[in-house]
Order: sequence, then structure tokens, then C-alpha cells
Amino acid sequence: MLAYVVSDAEFQTERFRSLESALLEFLSEKDCSVERTSVACGELRNCAGCFGCWVKTPGECIVRDPIAEINRRSMQSDVTFYLCPIVFGQFSANMKSVIDRWLPNMLPFFVTRPDGSTMHPPRYDSYPAQVMIGYGDDLENEDKVLFRDITKKHRNGVEVVIWHNAEELGRALHDMRFERIGGSL
Amino acid sequence: MNSPLKTITLLSASPKGTGLPCVSRMFCDMAAERIGCEEVCVRRFDVRACFAENTEESAYRAMLESDALFVLFPLYFFCLPGMLMRFLQDYSVFAKAHAAESRLNRVYALVNCGFPEAEINEEAIRVVARFSVSVQAAFRFGILVGGGGMALGTKDAPFMKPYFDAITGAFDRIRSDVVSFSEAPLANVYTEANFPRKLYFLMGGIGWKHTAKKNGLPKKALRRQPYKRD
Repeated sequence: MLAYVVSDAEFQTERFRSLESALLEFLSEKDCSVERTSVACGELRNCAGCFGCWVKTPGECIVRDPIAEINRRSMQSDVTFYLCPIVFGQFSANMKSVIDRWLPNMLPFFVTRPDGSTMHPPRYDSYPAQVMIGYGDDLENEDKVLFRDITKKHRNGVEVVIWHNAEELGRALHDMRFERIGGSL
Repeated sequence: MNSPLKTITLLSASPKGTGLPCVSRMFCDMAAERIGCEEVCVRRFDVRACFAENTEESAYRAMLESDALFVLFPLYFFCLPGMLMRFLQDYSVFAKAHAAESRLNRVYALVNCGFPEAEINEEAIRVVARFSVSVQAAFRFGILVGGGGMALGTKDAPFMKPYFDAITGAFDRIRSDVVSFSEAPLANVYTEANFPRKLYFLMGGIGWKHTAKKNGLPKKALRRQPYKRD
């Protein structure tokens, strides 16, 4: 199994190091091959909402920076882990730039989800399982709830874990299936 | 006795390049016109331009010295765009370092989404509320706009009047709230285009195919899978 781990170089705190080490240990026990990317401030351009990835170079961002490699590695993996600093209840700026620029992996059209809301249909038949692991110092409960809502409320096939300690992370990951998923995200 | 002049900073936070059609900037123009008056001085910054011109700090200073902040932005993946997060994350650090000088008392937000439903913006509004807590300001209310993709081309269409009336009414409410400095709670404002959902989807699909064709792409190229796993 191939796991891809994306993290934020700006928030390499003590808490992050504990989280990363616990995750890598878990993946090693599962005999996973692991690829890693750490994104620093200014390394990725922000998504400019130009939609070139839909109507000029479909499936690929027209901006040539490390996002092409990040998206390729993610799409080739069985599971992608995002180690997300939680800021104001959402992803930190660097991680949000990674997530915003996931857009090429979806199609431009609109479809209705089972709950009646709108979504973009998938471009691919299958996607890696995605796990967002949120962390932060002095997080309030409202931040954690909001982080879960942003991630889970509008998407299928994405798991969320809030980092507390290695034991809890192990328990949460133990119950997840790290297989590529088909259908709508 | 006249109340003292209040100041509000409008933050236009679309990552789209200047000169391109942009819903958030259109709403920012409308807000500046509607909120500015004898009692409220409006200052305005474009986040993308601040980064391009390295003028973030003067915007931060203006925000710190304002009574109110109004952030207008498009929804990106169910929350704030990365560009706006960078700006607010760094402002939060700046504001903490200059806490004693801060006048910022209250925050408002407008989020627009290309999907028809306005509710999809709710989490983004909650993020702005969490940001407000971090800079010790009160989040007053949000304006949640659905069907943003239609707003630019239909500003004067009669069927869109209720849609725009809800938005301009909310701008008036911001002006009154900044003047009164009331602490009474205010509910969020939701607005959606009164337009058939199926037709909206159909027109969107035709639009994407048409644009791709203009770019020299055949219809099926829209579904390319460059990162497909073997």
C-alpha cells in the first residue's frame, strides 16, 4: 500500500513532530510505502480561480509549480494523509492552498448530491482514501467541531481525526479502511 | 449630538486577477457605495493587490485602526481561499503584537458561491467568526450568497431584484450597525437566485464546453485523466 503524507512546513511544532512520528510508526507497522511532502509559505501559488485546469489543460493546473507533483503523487497513492494545522477552525494557509489546488481532479459540471446540495462530479473512477488529521496548540472545542464540519459535511470518502496522542490516533486509524474509493467524493 | 465618525475597512479577497470579471469585487463596489456616508468612512483594500505590491502591512495598520472590518470573498472548497487565510493568519499575528493600539471592534463577512444554495457558505462564515475571536472583535453577521456565477451578468435583470435587494439591505444594516455600535445580535442574511436549478446546471455545462472549444479543445478533452493510476 502506498501512503502519501502532506504537511505544513510552517507549523512544525513539538505537537506536529509527535503526530508525524506516531503516523509514520503506524504506517510502518502496516508495511506501507510512504512518500512525504512538506509545503512551506510561498512555495505554492494560490489558486486564482481561473478554471484553466478545466478548460485549458483539463486535469492539470496551468500554473507550473510543485502542485502538479503533489496532485500526481496523491492520485497515485492508496491513501493521502493531510497533517493540518487548525487555524480559525479551518486548514492553515499553506494546507488550504494545497486543498484549493485539488480542483483539477474534479470535473467542472454541477450535479446534485443525495442530500440535495451541489457538487462537482469526479474526474476519475477512483481516488485515494483521504484522511485529514487536524492539530494545534490550545484548540477550543468550537475549532475542532468546525474543522470536522468543513471536511465531512460536504464530502464523501474523507476521514477526519483530531490529534491528541499516539494511542488515540492509532485507535482512530485502526478502524479506517485505506483503500481507494470510487464514485463521488 | 452627532456620533463620532466611524471607520470601516472593506477587504476584497478574491484571488482572481484584477481586470477579470469578479463577483466579490462587484459586491465590494456596491458595499463601498452603500455603506459610506457622513458618519462612516470607508477604506478599501484588495488582498491580491496587497500581496502583489507587498503592501500587506499598510492594510493591517488600516484594519487595526478601523472600528469595523468587512471581508468579501468567494467560497473555495467549503471555506476561505488559501490566499485569504494567509492574509488573516498573518494579520492575527500582527494584531496580537499591536493589541494595545487596536480599535477593531466588529467584523462582517460576505461569502459568495457558484453553487445555487446559500447554506453551503455557513462554515466559511463560522471561520470568519473564529478569526474575529482571535483578534478580539465581535463577529456581527454574515451575508451568504448562492448562485454567485449568475450575479455579474444579471445585475439589472428584474428576476434578480430580490437577490440584490437582500444584499443591499444587508449593506444598509452594516452601515446602521457601525454607526450605532449596537451589541444586539444580528442574524445572517441568505440570498439565492430565483432561477430553476436544472437550467442553472445546464447553462453551466454549456458554458464550460463552449469555453473549452474556444480554447481549441474537443468536447471529450474536458474529461482527460492525466493522473490516472495504471
